[in-house]
Amino acid sequence: MSTLLEVRNLKTHFHTRDGVVKAVDGVNFNLEPGKTLAVVGESGSGKSVTALSIMRLIPKTTGVIGTDSDILFKGESVLGMDDAGVRSIRGNRIAMIFQDPMTSLNPVYRVGRQIGESLILHKGLKKKEADERAVELLDMVGIPHAGERAKDYPHQFSGGMRQRAMIAMALACDPDILIADEPTTALDVTIQAQILELMIELQERTGTAIIMITHDLGVVADMANEVMVMYAGKQIEYGTAEDVFYRPLHPYTWGLLESLPRHDVSEKGILLPITGQPPSLINVPSGCAFHPRCPYAKDVCHTQVPQLTSIEDGHSSACLFSGDPGFRRETASPSREVV
Amino acid sequence: MLKYLIRRVLQMIPVFLGVTMLLFILRAPGVLPGDPVRMITGERAISDTLRAQIVEEYGLDRPLPEQYVLYLGNLAKGDLGDSFQKSRPVVDILADKFPNTVKLALAAIVIEVIIGISAGIISAVKQYSLADVLTTLSTSILVAIPVFWLGMMLQLFFGILLKRWTGDTIYLPISGMTSNRFPDWAHMILPAITLASVSTAYVARIMRSQMLEALGQDYIRTAEAKGLSRRAVIWRHAMKNAMIPVVTFIGIDLGAMMAGAILTETIFNWPGVGYEIFVAIGQRDWPVVMGGVIFIVFAVMIVNLLVDLSYAVLDPRIRYGGAAE
Repeated sequence: MSTLLEVRNLKTHFHTRDGVVKAVDGVNFNLEPGKTLAVVGESGSGKSVTALSIMRLIPKTTGVIGTDSDILFKGESVLGMDDAGVRSIRGNRIAMIFQDPMTSLNPVYRVGRQIGESLILHKGLKKKEADERAVELLDMVGIPHAGERAKDYPHQFSGGMRQRAMIAMALACDPDILIADEPTTALDVTIQAQILELMIELQERTGTAIIMITHDLGVVADMANEVMVMYAGKQIEYGTAEDVFYRPLHPYTWGLLESLPRHDVSEKGILLPITGQPPSLINVPSGCAFHPRCPYAKDVCHTQVPQLTSIEDGHSSACLFSGDPGFRRETASPSREVV
Repeated sequence: MLKYLIRRVLQMIPVFLGVTMLLFILRAPGVLPGDPVRMITGERAISDTLRAQIVEEYGLDRPLPEQYVLYLGNLAKGDLGDSFQKSRPVVDILADKFPNTVKLALAAIVIEVIIGISAGIISAVKQYSLADVLTTLSTSILVAIPVFWLGMMLQLFFGILLKRWTGDTIYLPISGMTSNRFPDWAHMILPAITLASVSTAYVARIMRSQMLEALGQDYIRTAEAKGLSRRAVIWRHAMKNAMIPVVTFIGIDLGAMMAGAILTETIFNWPGVGYEIFVAIGQRDWPVVMGGVIFIVFAVMIVNLLVDLSYAVLDPRIRYGGAAE
């Protein structure tokens, strides 16, 4: 199987009045066809900026992608393409859905037309053909009476239906990669489960690779083949979903898993949040960026920057002590509990 | 939609009654200074018989509510009474002047739409560019300049100085609607620019801020993620959303211009409704003042109704009412 997407040393920095924000600072990963990669981390860890960088949707005026960074889609450099080249990939080969379906659809155009727009653009369909295909897509994502609903405006759709419409829009051109940026965060819990099930089902049917950006580890457990944990713009752990959940290596990942509500612990069991705040991306702490919040931090963590190191086969961590066999934790399955 | 239209038309009735009543009370004896009979006859001395005749003819001896009902009755028949000064039906006078006002208003609106909207769009799309800075600066200046001063400066420059410098060859007319030397449209240029000046500046500013707001919305990112070109994103996705408040402003402004631009029409001797009312106020020709104002109220209400209906075309959320669920 050839690699679909290769991200090499991605650095996306924003130049602001207060200084340089290192939103993404040296991220590497591969995505294979049909697989799901989950990108996990707190707000401000660089998840969304990674996604926008792949789509080349970083505002040119403030955002700068490092010159030694590269993003290869089917072997071709996305960063080296001209604008027209990037546009021919966007929405066509790589599609994206966003966090808030309430505001991500244009309020003044009919839902069907918004779905058909990329078909007209990328597939050269006539307006009428695109309308017909939009109805099929709405039907595919489980909108009842799709024929009539396609003529509705976004405000006539509920939040869950709008996210379904967004998924239909993203899948319209049968993309190779779907980037989902916290697609369930803005939705009710019951709707969240429906949307995830829909995405899993559609992935089985279409074979689209998914990059799932989330801070919800339950979502990750349900969907992901591989997991990348990010902290302060850097990868701190990378591995298969099973590795990351059952044999997590990095203290930050332990913290994430412990702060998750669990159904196998008694109701009186308390959640253990990670103390402190995510660091400023302008003045990133010295040494390991996580050291001010890490309960296991030693003096060396203040000065030495840990590199992402392969600890086991395909499972790597950016903690100075991950190589120490005594520095381990077992966790139970954090599988999603439908409330 | 039809229900909405009917409701809106019915809502116009109380507004209309309120305005006419207010005007009527203003001209009642004792509210404004002056004897109504004197207003009709002017400064000439009149005999008691003539006075009694006038009082009888205009129903001035009847109670005010009765006079009001009488006036409304005539109004319903399309009769606004006769001008004291010109001895002509007010309706005829307004019918003469209104087309001139409309002509000027439309010319001003064209300037406002073309220049205001394009300046606003360029300004927003090329934010912080030289064009943006110049637009922001010039709109600030335009908003601050009094209309009458701008009008007179334009007259001075294009009508007098330019004429002098070019030896009577190139200049623009500065007064009236017609002349032997110029085509009619040339007479419209300076008054239309003057009338449009402040509004054009506002349109440019509103357009700029709305466009910037629209371009920052999530659905613009969605459109970009589809692979649409920058041009399609701006014209198809941002424009229609950004236009809604601009259309409101232009519509309300058109209504205001229908009311006749008193300052502009006076400076350029433009024989419109505003100028006519201005003259009538000076002459205490109250049937013209009252008829003129009622006419303007009516025109403004109609224009506002059309503006509200245009929302429905632009914004489906208004067309179809509340959200699903």
